[in-house]
Amino acid sequence: MPDNRLTQTEASLNPAVTQMVNIKIDGIELQVPKGENIIESAKRAGVDIPYFCYHPRLSKGDAANCRMCLVDVFAPRRAPDGTVSLAKMPKPQASCTLPADEGMVIVTDSEAVVRDRKGVLEFLLINHPLDCPICDRGGECPLQNNAIFYGAATSRYTEEKRHFPKAYPLAENVVFDRERCIHCARCTRFTEDISGDAQLGFLKRGADMEVGTFEHTAYKSKFSGNVIELCPVGALLSRSYRFKARPWDLHSQRSVCSKCSNGCNIKIDYRLDSLQRINGRINEAVNEEWTCDKGKFGHSYVSSEARLKTPMLKTGGEWKAIDWTEALQILVGKLRDANGSVAGIGGQRCTNEDNFAFQKLFREVLKSNDIDSRVEGYLGSVNKPLYERFGYHAMGNAIAELEDMKTILVLGSQLVDEQPIIYLRVRKAYRFKGATVINAVSSVPEDSPKVGDFAQLELVYKPGTEAALLKGILSVLSAEKLASVNGFAKGYTLEKAAEETGVSAEAIQQAARLMATGKLAIIAGREVANHANHLEVVQAIGDLAEATGNAQNINLPGEDVNSQGAADMGVLPDFAPGYAPLENPGKNTAQILQAAADGSLKVLWVAGAKLLEKFPNRELAQAAFASDTFIVVNELTMTETAQAADLVLPAASFAEKEGTFTNCERRVQRIHKAFDISLEIKPDWLIFSEVATRMGGGGGSFFSARDILKAISAQVPAYAGLTAKSLGDEGVRWNYPDK
Amino acid sequence: MAIRNLLFEHREVAGIEEMDVYEKLGGYEGLRRAVTLERQAVIDDVKTSGLRGRGGAGFPTWIKWNGIPKNTDKPHYLICNADEGEPGTYKDRELMLKTPHLLVEGMAIAGYACLGTAGYIYIRGEYVEPAWQIRKAIDQAYKKGYLGKNIMGIEGFNYDLYVHMGAGSYECGEESALMSSLMGERGNPRLKAPHAPLPVHEGVWKSPTLVNNVETYCAAAWILKNGGAEYAKLGTERSKGTKIISVSGHIAKPANYEVEMGTPLLDLLKAAGGVTGGKLKAVIPGGSSVPIMTADKLDKINLDYESCAASGTMLGSGGFMVFNDTTDIVLLMKRTSEFYMHESCGKCTPCREGTRWLFKILDRITSGGGREGDIELLLDICSQIDGRSYCGLGDAAAWPIVGAIKAFREEFEYWIEHKRSPIGDHAVPPTPVVVNPLLTLTPA
Repeated sequence: MPDNRLTQTEASLNPAVTQMVNIKIDGIELQVPKGENIIESAKRAGVDIPYFCYHPRLSKGDAANCRMCLVDVFAPRRAPDGTVSLAKMPKPQASCTLPADEGMVIVTDSEAVVRDRKGVLEFLLINHPLDCPICDRGGECPLQNNAIFYGAATSRYTEEKRHFPKAYPLAENVVFDRERCIHCARCTRFTEDISGDAQLGFLKRGADMEVGTFEHTAYKSKFSGNVIELCPVGALLSRSYRFKARPWDLHSQRSVCSKCSNGCNIKIDYRLDSLQRINGRINEAVNEEWTCDKGKFGHSYVSSEARLKTPMLKTGGEWKAIDWTEALQILVGKLRDANGSVAGIGGQRCTNEDNFAFQKLFREVLKSNDIDSRVEGYLGSVNKPLYERFGYHAMGNAIAELEDMKTILVLGSQLVDEQPIIYLRVRKAYRFKGATVINAVSSVPEDSPKVGDFAQLELVYKPGTEAALLKGILSVLSAEKLASVNGFAKGYTLEKAAEETGVSAEAIQQAARLMATGKLAIIAGREVANHANHLEVVQAIGDLAEATGNAQNINLPGEDVNSQGAADMGVLPDFAPGYAPLENPGKNTAQILQAAADGSLKVLWVAGAKLLEKFPNRELAQAAFASDTFIVVNELTMTETAQAADLVLPAASFAEKEGTFTNCERRVQRIHKAFDISLEIKPDWLIFSEVATRMGGGGGSFFSARDILKAISAQVPAYAGLTAKSLGDEGVRWNYPDK
Repeated sequence: MAIRNLLFEHREVAGIEEMDVYEKLGGYEGLRRAVTLERQAVIDDVKTSGLRGRGGAGFPTWIKWNGIPKNTDKPHYLICNADEGEPGTYKDRELMLKTPHLLVEGMAIAGYACLGTAGYIYIRGEYVEPAWQIRKAIDQAYKKGYLGKNIMGIEGFNYDLYVHMGAGSYECGEESALMSSLMGERGNPRLKAPHAPLPVHEGVWKSPTLVNNVETYCAAAWILKNGGAEYAKLGTERSKGTKIISVSGHIAKPANYEVEMGTPLLDLLKAAGGVTGGKLKAVIPGGSSVPIMTADKLDKINLDYESCAASGTMLGSGGFMVFNDTTDIVLLMKRTSEFYMHESCGKCTPCREGTRWLFKILDRITSGGGREGDIELLLDICSQIDGRSYCGLGDAAAWPIVGAIKAFREEFEYWIEHKRSPIGDHAVPPTPVVVNPLLTLTPA
């Protein structure tokens, strides 16, 4: 397999030295790290250098092609007699790839540079259709902006322009206008450097050159949406947003993606009450600036016609729209009659505020501990797998810390589907930082991108044999004296592991040797989370981490947007908010459903959990829903679970409410309300709070999401001191008090 | 100073491409001598010879050889640039076709001096027969122990030689694009110093890489056989030795001529039999990329790097093209610009867009659509390309047009004013047969 790591050539991304050098840009003297690209140094000096192809996150090997950032450079020359003089480089230099060196003098405002910029823009525009009035990018287009600031007023080009049909179908979500393309290679570099599938490349040459996939097949990626934002012109366009709005008609609201637990920072662009598109927002600690296609194109449900806009009551098998007064009356009546025989499931898709209000309502008003946010996977005590041994629950590392690893083991995970942004970080660690990646998984999908595309070693084991594989690795570490291994793997042999897992003994040996070389992070995925013997596998992971000296580098990220926050907020049968143990633990999800199926539960409240779709024991879930238990569901649309309920309450999506999510690395991030779909739709916390108030208040009544956040920061130690202000735009990662 | 056959010494000998004939005539003596020397002494001998790169740029060869780091554990790669694509140049073809062992020997010497792991001869795709000859020579050299493991009995001197055929791109003759192509990537140029490390530090596969032209390696073989001092006796003060000049065009005896550096241009013209079909009008001395020289200036030009540069042209790769007075310079430039448009890799803006624009204007002028201001526009576009492109191809596309306008501006003016050739009816072009459908776009 070719090694695509870039560590040798990317001095700027991977600085070997922290030496500072003195340079001068337009007369401004400044100190910058040696080897930094001059275009970055210019930013420090506040000097604007226009560019198209340059992008700080893309490798510079294929940059410097637009020639927009040319500057005059004077470099010190040492004469044979030792005297140093400044000499102008004979050609203007591309500042986006020029490494800063001691004594360099950069001029960006000379007549020659002004002329060069005009020249490049004239070239770029001769084949550009200039159809700005109908272009999606018009108004937020780097080509427009640079043409206005640096271009000539007219063109001298009178020949025929290049013509292509519009809207070439490049990908499922991306269409391509080849006429507008300025061949900056940002998209092609993105697929090679960032997403790792290297599907886009250049076809043909010279002025006929065009971007495409190598055999004109569809561009199939899980990150294709990013090329739309990367494109400095309107060549790559979103299929769903095309011709929908002009940028200046859009309002933009900062938010956090609701599609998985990575917590990508996004911007919701909307018009009136309808979501038009999702764009990435920069957060260096989380998504840098990327989004995955699930996040970018998966939010059409927010403004869809299918959204519930009034409470729905099932009477005699028929759904009837009712108003909130009636709905709450019925619900409160049922809850009163239940006299404590109530249970709640869900919360992983709700905000921390929703979850906090949820558990307050149950614990303090309804006096029941039978609530659980988990729908699938391990349902035992959350302290058992990792916390009791290592002092943390899910992720030992921050997402950004993965970059610093020497080796990364991805275990039992289709990482790109489960944790797309963690996948990008792993890929970055590999490509730009020289990390070695090992992928251990039970099945390998065909589609790229995936970890296996760049993993040094791929161990494909028989489903369910994760523990055996890990024990095999431990036995190698022990046998080769690579690490001190405790008793766990004693008596376990490499041969046995090879036989049980179906992975060759050599591969296990190689893996063990790679893992013993330094900082190792282990990222475990769905196969581990949903493993029948979850505790055993996690113990083996712990042993491996401990043996190699990486006890703090175990990562078991949750999957739903707020699975971390729901647990933090105590939507668990055995813990109050902040993992404070309860004296009399309640029932977990499986036990609640069993109780409902047995007929011993009066009311079950499901907060956005897709029980029928996701709960592994589907018969039990069906039996629970078929029982006499009164089931109320908060939902956005009529899902299968909602269909099977008795009362459905229309809940607000993440775009319609304030609040906070806690992502898999424990980063608490704010979301902001963008618009209202309907005034009849309420955020979950308000529904819980209104019920609590009608039931007599207690601690469950709140006035606003911010009000709840105040309560959280007062009552949950890990969230102590968090305020809307301190969370800011990039959020705060909470840490365990003893760390 | 005139014809001086060093590399071509044995080109007329029958069977010189075979090992036994080559050895009988002193072949591989250079390698034999080299391996008796220290590696640094070999490089010093090349330094003494004053040999400069024969691919066009004239960079001192020993500096490159000396620049290869001596203490890395990375493999060292040697590349022979045999992607001879410059219009008018065909010297490497003859060297490979007639004396392939000279190149193999030269690369083996360089392999010894630069601790080479493997050598790649990147031959342009159209050079099928030269590649056959080189392959045969490599096979024979392996059999004789001049390549392979422990060469000439020297412990640890392991060196393999491979032939890699290009796929028909002019751009791949550019050093860094050649490296991209060799590694299986698209034949695009790569960043060069000061933006990236020099190839001698980080070339192909991130390893130290030496890239030289066919003629340079062949000259190195001669130098090691006869001694650098011997080579330095030839030529001018700064341009040493000989240079093979490929003479073509309106000339009585078009062929490769190996001349001593500093030979007056007119001497070569005489040696090649003089102009045919009319009076001498112009000469392009170094391949289509270099500025054209009018007949009245030729007596001042000697064939060496400095003299050519002083006259505003370049010795380049030695593609010496002679034109008589039936030549229409505007049509010549249209054909030249069409070549560069077709060969631009498309990577950078000035070259990608500029070369096609140049061609379209010249095409319009020579189709009778010339307008006032076209000449200034051509010059302006050239100045926007020259020095602004990613690699030298853009410069190479701009120089000849600037040179032609400087030397023959009245012909461009004639075309624009009279909508026909200044040369006469016989030179009016037939309607071009358009192969590339994109070129059917008619000028506005």
